Amino acid sequence: MSTKAILTDVTKCIGCLECVGACKNTWHLDMEVPRTWQKNDGLSADNWTSVLQKADRHYVRKQCRHCLEPACASACPVGALHTTEMGAVVYDSDKCLGCRYCMMACPYGIPRYDWDSAVPYVRKCIMCYPRIQEGKQPACTEACPVQATIFGDRDELVAEAHRRIKDNPGKYIDYVWGETEIGGTSVLYISDIDLGFLSYQPKLPTRPLPETTATAMKSVPFAFVGMGGFMLGLNWIIKRRQRLQGGTNEEGGEQS
Amino acid sequence: MMDRVHKAKIVLWSVVGLALSIGITRYLFGLGVTTNLTDATPWGFWIGFDVMGGVALAAGGFVLTAIVYMMKREEFHPIVRPAVLTAFLGYIAVVVSLMVDLGLPWNIWHMLIYWNPHSPLFEVGWCVMLYTTVLLLEFSPVPLESTSRYARVRTFLMKFRFPLVLLGIMLSTLHQSSLGSLFLIMPFKLPELWYTPWLPVMFFVSAVGLGLGMVSLESIISTYLYRRKPETHLIAKLSKAAIWVLVAYLVFKLGELIAAGEFGRIFSGDWESNVFILELLISAVIPIILFSIPSVRSHPAGQFIGAALIVFGMAFNRINVGGLTMLGITGDAYIPSWMEFAVSAGVVSGAILVFLFAIEKFNIWESRPTEPEDEPHAAAQFDRTTEVWLGPPAVAGRTKYSMAFVIALAVGFALMPGKRLHSSGVEQVVAQQARGGDTLYVDGNRDGFGVAFKHEYHVAKLGEKASCIQCHHMNMPRDKQSGCWHCHQGMYASFDSFRHDWHASSRGANLRCVDCHASDLERGAASSKTCDQCHKDLVPEGALVKVEQYMAPSYVDAMHGLCVNCHQKKLAELPEKPDLARCTTCHETSAPDHLSDDMKERWSGPYFNRVVLPGRPAEGQ
Repeated sequence: MSTKAILTDVTKCIGCLECVGACKNTWHLDMEVPRTWQKNDGLSADNWTSVLQKADRHYVRKQCRHCLEPACASACPVGALHTTEMGAVVYDSDKCLGCRYCMMACPYGIPRYDWDSAVPYVRKCIMCYPRIQEGKQPACTEACPVQATIFGDRDELVAEAHRRIKDNPGKYIDYVWGETEIGGTSVLYISDIDLGFLSYQPKLPTRPLPETTATAMKSVPFAFVGMGGFMLGLNWIIKRRQRLQGGTNEEGGEQS
Repeated sequence: MMDRVHKAKIVLWSVVGLALSIGITRYLFGLGVTTNLTDATPWGFWIGFDVMGGVALAAGGFVLTAIVYMMKREEFHPIVRPAVLTAFLGYIAVVVSLMVDLGLPWNIWHMLIYWNPHSPLFEVGWCVMLYTTVLLLEFSPVPLESTSRYARVRTFLMKFRFPLVLLGIMLSTLHQSSLGSLFLIMPFKLPELWYTPWLPVMFFVSAVGLGLGMVSLESIISTYLYRRKPETHLIAKLSKAAIWVLVAYLVFKLGELIAAGEFGRIFSGDWESNVFILELLISAVIPIILFSIPSVRSHPAGQFIGAALIVFGMAFNRINVGGLTMLGITGDAYIPSWMEFAVSAGVVSGAILVFLFAIEKFNIWESRPTEPEDEPHAAAQFDRTTEVWLGPPAVAGRTKYSMAFVIALAVGFALMPGKRLHSSGVEQVVAQQARGGDTLYVDGNRDGFGVAFKHEYHVAKLGEKASCIQCHHMNMPRDKQSGCWHCHQGMYASFDSFRHDWHASSRGANLRCVDCHASDLERGAASSKTCDQCHKDLVPEGALVKVEQYMAPSYVDAMHGLCVNCHQKKLAELPEKPDLARCTTCHETSAPDHLSDDMKERWSGPYFNRVVLPGRPAEGQ
């Protein structure tokens, strides 16, 4: 199964919020409780996509980027967040224990939390995974009246993005957001304004984020055995030295 | 003898009571009510201090067992038991904190069956679980020795002490460092002064230093409370060891910054660099200087200050890495609520109370402190009428603790901000400068809940002065301006007036789709009921005017619908009233004389039907 993707063309978006409405209706999202002290980008546990209004009538849709190598899935200690064969990063609420490490790990700040619930879950866009499994497209791309956001195979959409940039010289910034950064994402953007504001750093590196912890995690067994060996060796040397000095501490501690 | 302990215990019990009230609220209403956490700052004070700091503070256990059992420095034997107990209680405190902080704490055991070995948190979780068990087994011979019943269990456990200690050290190495690995995945969030691929090693080295400081601090405070002779000579040795660890930490940390070419960043003078300098000063530089002076190192006060600085400094480091320094990048305004502080204090207090209990009941020290007496002035109790002796006031102390606990529990519930508990939905906004100011308090349906309406913002947004007419004109509902819904009539954005989500939510109106939408039609505004079909109060009883849509009738509709109809019917009965049935009673066919020439000219234009209401001069356009 090929990896699916969503391509959003910022120059085409008219800011009608049809995608937001379609998402809400499809997933029966709950009432939104405004959290006034929180920086608001429109996303919340009950808003999985939002449209950011930028200067000069630019509308930028924000949603989960569905990274090819997602930091959230790598961080989740129980694997509640995981990638699927179609590229969608989905969430298994039955496994989640609510540690919110995924929210810390996401470079785009996408996962949101049911703060006002006594049984809270992590909430984010799942690329309408049940729908795309049935062969339908996500509700948001289906609802878009101007095809500003479209759904398809990732390879084809990357090619389409480059084709649009090439065919309209000067119209777009020559960059496809999501093609390479942090290993590539399945939600791609082309735009005539800089979209650095979508992530915490304006320019993300191309290295996938799970690799940053890989070295540390791989050295865990070595650290474990190494420390054990070091302590045993140290103990053996010191014991021997004490025995040679006069054998006073022979049995080494009747008291605990 | 026990006065210091009594006072301390009263305070500790109150803090535990306060924290318990907040813990209960958190379980009933969720994290949003008790914490100031946001989606951009999902880890706050509880993770930074309680969990990250707590695990680090408990490092004294593995450091001291390594010194005594591995390096065979038997002179430290007297402080091993308190150190292991502190570590054990520290880990229990971490688990208790997690039970408050985790969103779904009852799922914490999922780590046992759902594995994700790529996650540092998975490894930390497993290590903490295993190490807590190891600590329990390491410590359990101590309570078991108070009764001969379990002597065989105790001897059995004692056989495994060496492998247990070794396993404990190995596990500690892993998770102390892996707490640092947690943040390796956030190079975009953690400022470069803290972020380094060597973060795990940094965390381990600092944990060793912190462990030494914590063992010293715990010994100094407990000997003070029980008025015992301080173990000054041992702590002096620990302090000396701490110098080397801290110097190694400092050299490693600064060396890494130099190697990464970020050394100059320390002196850039912004908020992050100042926090970094402060952290380095209290966690390493000042303790190193203090402990290098032999007279300071061998004096209890000097030892206390130095150890306290290490402990606070390293806890500060964990808080910094755990989220505080990320605020500059996330742009979030997270300040922990008082409830977060109170819960953290309560967890620590609870751990201290258990520590004091263990000290009084078991042989943590070589000799137990004297039996907890009550205050010397608490005399024996007699029944006044019968002169019967009621026994010694043995429960006086416990009564005070219970009192403090219950009062603090009640105070905690009383202090709970009701605003947060009840205001799910639109928040009630205090009227600021209700008239004439910029922010107006608009309460459209007079239910006491309103919104802060920013007038200047709307003027600027809609196009300065020319935009007045967009909201303010006569043919609009009763408040002489358009209702908010007139513009904000969507239903998806947070500023929209019709809250579709609320109507559908089980916490709101709890309606099914078909309650409003015709089931056989496509859902949308067209197939929906209008507001007044349910909200009948919008239209007064017996009104002749039928509300077309969402709001009360405008002046014009009200006049023509209500007044005119009635006046027509009752014209014969009430001849003295103005004849509203005749249009010319209000509508003049020619412009009134008092108008300016300019206005008279306009009168014949689109304003022909303009009515001059009694007592109200025509509005100068």
